[in-house]
Amino acid sequence: MTPACREIRKNILNASRTSGHGHIPTSFSIIEMIAAVYDTMKHDPKNPQWDERDIFILSKGHGALGFYAVLAQHGYFPVAELNTFGAFQSRLGCHPDRFKVPGAELSTGSLGHGIAVAVGMALAFRLQNSSRRVYTLIGDGESNEGSVWEAVMVASHLKLTNLSIMLDHNKSQVRSLPIPNPAERFASFGCDTIEVPGHDLEALKAALAKPAANVRAVIADTTKGYGCPTLSNNVFEWHRKSPKPEELEKLMGELNAA
Amino acid sequence: MRKQFKDTTLELAGKDDKVVVILGDISHFLFNDFQQKYPTRFYNMGICENALISITAGLSAQGFHPFVHTITPFLTERSLEQIKLDMGYNRFGGNIVTTGASFDYAWDGATHHCYTDLAILRLIPGMEVTQPGNKQELDTLIRSQYKNGKPTYFRLYDHGHTVAMPIEFGKGVALKDTGAAVTVMTAGPILTNVLEACADLPVNLVYFHTLKPIDKELIARYRHTKIIVVHDAFGLHEAINEVPDLRTVYHGLPDQFCVWYGTVHDIRKNIGLDPAGIRAAIQKRIND
Repeated sequence: MTPACREIRKNILNASRTSGHGHIPTSFSIIEMIAAVYDTMKHDPKNPQWDERDIFILSKGHGALGFYAVLAQHGYFPVAELNTFGAFQSRLGCHPDRFKVPGAELSTGSLGHGIAVAVGMALAFRLQNSSRRVYTLIGDGESNEGSVWEAVMVASHLKLTNLSIMLDHNKSQVRSLPIPNPAERFASFGCDTIEVPGHDLEALKAALAKPAANVRAVIADTTKGYGCPTLSNNVFEWHRKSPKPEELEKLMGELNAA
Repeated sequence: MRKQFKDTTLELAGKDDKVVVILGDISHFLFNDFQQKYPTRFYNMGICENALISITAGLSAQGFHPFVHTITPFLTERSLEQIKLDMGYNRFGGNIVTTGASFDYAWDGATHHCYTDLAILRLIPGMEVTQPGNKQELDTLIRSQYKNGKPTYFRLYDHGHTVAMPIEFGKGVALKDTGAAVTVMTAGPILTNVLEACADLPVNLVYFHTLKPIDKELIARYRHTKIIVVHDAFGLHEAINEVPDLRTVYHGLPDQFCVWYGTVHDIRKNIGLDPAGIRAAIQKRIND
């Protein structure tokens, strides 16, 4: 784990402890994925509406705390603001609101929407002969939604090479409807598919930078609660839970050792 | 009316390079000339209505004025959440244009009937909802609203009325104002039947092509009269009753699926929306 990604996770734990909210395990599974996107794409934290920016859409909106923590790390807003997560007048709701969060391009929450809006944006950039790119992060649970596959079919049919779909394959759906071999599934839908260790920042960045013959699908093999065995070994207990003071101390210790 | 939709968008596309057409595998032969003339702005994207709406929102987010078009129930009822969130909540505009209103696909049965679209779409904040009654109304309303930056609904019909009248988005029209004690209010192509039904009856007649925003000022002028709302869908009666203190009754759809085939005229007759059925309902209202 890089020092920056460890710091992001600590900020998430503190924000969850302070606010009483947070999907911590799912946020921990996507940190390197979002960090890789923000290390790769064109963006300007001082000017979030920059005309030439690339687009990132967190389609699995319940990973908002992880998203906010990466945005804060990049300077979109102060790290201390993370502690307002979910509060009545906070800008940082438990799902992102594009009118409130600097850097959020789409308000998401209901699953299976963001990826299809991302397809529309990628098509728009092609029509504009623009070099702008679109990145979207979806979950394996989200991939139970039929609209995900509608979007993938359209994107691959249109050969939207300016779109990268990142799957957070954290295996959360073992409890209901798992996708046994997601790389095969996305490839069969026409995607240029790469499998990557989902917590290897450099491997993720290399996958995103590699030219693609069609819409790029990055299948990131991730672990819910990555970095804290207490979380990763008890994902159902910790699915939507805020740590008590003694639990926070233990989790911070586990992060330091990771 | 579908041909007018194509003709209008074809002409707009020539003037405005932000116009993009997305079809859900319907009307694609009709749009042949559009496709030939503007191949990069025409997409027969397939039978995937949820994605069609979200993609429309994405195009709008990046400055385009998209038109998305397919069969009414599949684009509106099936994709209600996409319209609500991706277009409404995110405030990404775009033009939703459907064919197969109410019982236009009568012969296809209840899976292809659609009468809730106007009612549910007008509940979405920021949405504009129109029910053009003929080609002229459709052409005027599209030109007026297609790049308003809001999600906007245009409901096409197969059997438009032939009444010429001034058309302005958001404005109703008093077609008959005799100072009568009863006012008939209606919207869209059913106007043909309503006119025949009440030609010699002592009533006022008010017509709407825009259900949201509804023309409250015009409605309020008839507050002192007994109102009967005649409509072959849900939504108009509810919109009219946003004006307080009205005395309205609704003559329209029953609380049951219309499980017959035939034509739109057959079904209208069976549920009392043919001229005779409407006339009987209006006479009852007069005698109430």
